[in-house]
Amino acid sequence: MKYAFYPGCVSKGGCPELYPSAVRVATKLGIELEEMRDVACTGAGVLPQYISDPINARTFAKAERMGLPIMTICSTCQGVFGQANLRLQDPEYRAKINREYLAEEGLEYKGTTDIKHLLWVVMEDYGVDKLKAMVARPLTGLKVSPFYGCFLRRPPEVVIPSKEFAGRKTYLEQLIDIVGAELADFAGKGKCCGFPVLTANEESSLGMTAKHTIEAKSKGADCMVTPCPLCHLSLDGNQPRAEEQEGKEINLPILHLPQFLGLALGFTPAEMNLKRHIVSTQAVESKVNMIA
Amino acid sequence: MQATFNVYRKEPGPNSKPGRSTYSVEVAADATVMDALLKIRDEQDPALGFRGSCLRGYCGDCTVRVNGKAAFACTAKVAALAKKGPAEISVEPIRNMPVVKDLIQDWDAFLWNKIDATKPWLEPNGSTADGEQRIPDTVMAKVRKAMSCFYCGLCDEGCTVLPVDFNFLGPAALTKASRFTWDPRDHAVRERLQILERPKGMWDCVHCFEASEHCPREIAPTERIMEMRDEAFKYGITNEKVARHHLSFAASVKRSGWLDEGRLAIESEGLTNFKGLMKLLPTAVKAITRGKAPIPYLHHKREGSEKITRIIEKAEANKEK
Repeated sequence: MKYAFYPGCVSKGGCPELYPSAVRVATKLGIELEEMRDVACTGAGVLPQYISDPINARTFAKAERMGLPIMTICSTCQGVFGQANLRLQDPEYRAKINREYLAEEGLEYKGTTDIKHLLWVVMEDYGVDKLKAMVARPLTGLKVSPFYGCFLRRPPEVVIPSKEFAGRKTYLEQLIDIVGAELADFAGKGKCCGFPVLTANEESSLGMTAKHTIEAKSKGADCMVTPCPLCHLSLDGNQPRAEEQEGKEINLPILHLPQFLGLALGFTPAEMNLKRHIVSTQAVESKVNMIA
Repeated sequence: MQATFNVYRKEPGPNSKPGRSTYSVEVAADATVMDALLKIRDEQDPALGFRGSCLRGYCGDCTVRVNGKAAFACTAKVAALAKKGPAEISVEPIRNMPVVKDLIQDWDAFLWNKIDATKPWLEPNGSTADGEQRIPDTVMAKVRKAMSCFYCGLCDEGCTVLPVDFNFLGPAALTKASRFTWDPRDHAVRERLQILERPKGMWDCVHCFEASEHCPREIAPTERIMEMRDEAFKYGITNEKVARHHLSFAASVKRSGWLDEGRLAIESEGLTNFKGLMKLLPTAVKAITRGKAPIPYLHHKREGSEKITRIIEKAEANKEK
C-alpha cells in the first residue's frame, strides 16, 4: 500500500502535532507514504475556484505521474480536492486547465487520480480485520465523540460517489468501536465546526465551537476525535474563547484522528504529541495510562 | 390502517410552554402525514394548527419534521413511516424558525424579511429596439437553477449557522439573490453583491453543504452561494475583514506555495487593530508554551513555489472582470 502523501498546510503549521503522529501511525500500519513536497495549498475553500482548480489540477497531475493515489489527513483538503477532481472529470474543462496552466510545465492531468483521506484509507484499503488485529491497547472505558468536518460528509456526490462507499458517514463511529472505546454520539458530529467564519463572524464561529463541545460533553464524552485539523483549531484552539463567550467551562480534549488511532496501536501519549494542544489532554492520558 | 401521531403543540405568545398531543387515527393505506393531520383536525382536534396548500409536494407550505427529519407532510407516506420508524410518528416544526402556533411557523422572520433584504428583483438594463431581450439558453440554465426554488425552507432548516445566529440571511435568501448575479438583463449586480457582503450576509456562510443536501430540488444552494462569492472576488470584495483575510490567504499561497498561518491570523485581524490582535494573545502564548507554535516562527517557501506563483498570476489575469 503506497500513497502520494499530501499532509496539507495545517499539519505543519497550526497543528504541528498532527504530521508526525500521522506518519508514525502510517509507518506502524505498513502504509508507505511518498510525500508531495512541491505542490500548493488546496485553497481550503477560501481561494476562488478560478485559482484553486488550476493549482489542484497540478497536484493531481503530479500524483498521476507518480502512479499513486493521494492520501490526505485533513477533511478540508480532502473535500476541496474531491470537489475540484469532480469538476476536472469534465474533459473540456480539464483540457482548458491543462492547456492554460499545466502545459507550460510539461504536465497534463488525465483525470485518473484517486484521493483518499487517511480515515478512508484505513477503513477501505487497509481493512477493518487487519486493523482490529493491530490494536495493541484497546481503549476500554474511554468515551469518545466523533466529529467529521463537513467535507468528509458532504457533498454526497463527492463523498459517496457510489453505494459501495455508503459507510463513509459512519467510519468514525465504527473506528471508535474497533479500537474498543465507547461511543458518545451527538447530533452535531457532522455539522460545521465554525472555523470558516472565524474572520467574518467570530461570535457565530465561537458559538459553533461551544455548541458542539458542550453537546458532546453532555453525552459523557471524555474527548472528541476529528480527522480535520481545521476543526481541531476551532474545537481545541478556540475552546477557551468559546468558554469565555458562553460564560461556561467546557474543557473537552480534542484528539486528531491519527493520535486517537495511535494510542490504540500502542503509542504513548507523548509519542502522539498530546501535550501540544490548547485544551489539556491530561484526563485522556490518565485513562490511557491506566489501560496500559 | 391505524396510526398514532405524537404532535408538537404550542399556543401563541412568548410565555406559552410547548407540549405534545397524541392522536390515534384510521387512515388509508396510501395516506400521507397531511391526510392524517387533516383527519385529526376534522374529527378529533379542531384547534390543531398546521399549514398546507398544494397538497402535492409542490409549494413547500407544509414543511415539518417527521420522525426527526425534515419533510413535506403532503408527500411523507404514513405506511412507510410506520414500517420503518417508532410506534408513534413524531411531527414537529422545522428547526431554526420561531413557532407561531403548533406546526405554524413565522415565515416572515425566517425567510421573507431576509429575502426582502437582498434586493430580490431585476433592475433591467434597457432593452433592444423591438422591446425584447434575447438570452442564450446556456445563460438561462444557470439562472433557472436558483429560480426553481419554491421556498420550502428545507435548506435553512439544515443550515449550521442559523442555530447560532438567527440573523444570518441563510441559504434560501442568498440563493434567491444569486439568481440575479447571472442574469444578463440585470444591471445591479455590483450593488446587490455589496448588500450581500455586509455582516450576516454571504461571507457568514460556512459552505458546509448541509443546504445542498437538504434541498429537494437539487438547486445546490451551497454551490450557488460559493459561485456568487467567487463573482464578488471579480468585482473586488468590499467587506473589510473578509477582504483582509482573503487577500492575505491568496498572497501567502502565491508567495510561498502554501499557507502562512501565523501571518494570516495577524493580517486578518489587521495590523493596526490592537484590540483584535490582543484577543489572539492568550491562545498564542499557550501555543508557544506547549510547543504548538514554534519560536522563532519561520515560514519557508515550498519547493517549486515559483511554478505555483506563475499559475496564480495567470489565473488572476484570466478572471473575466
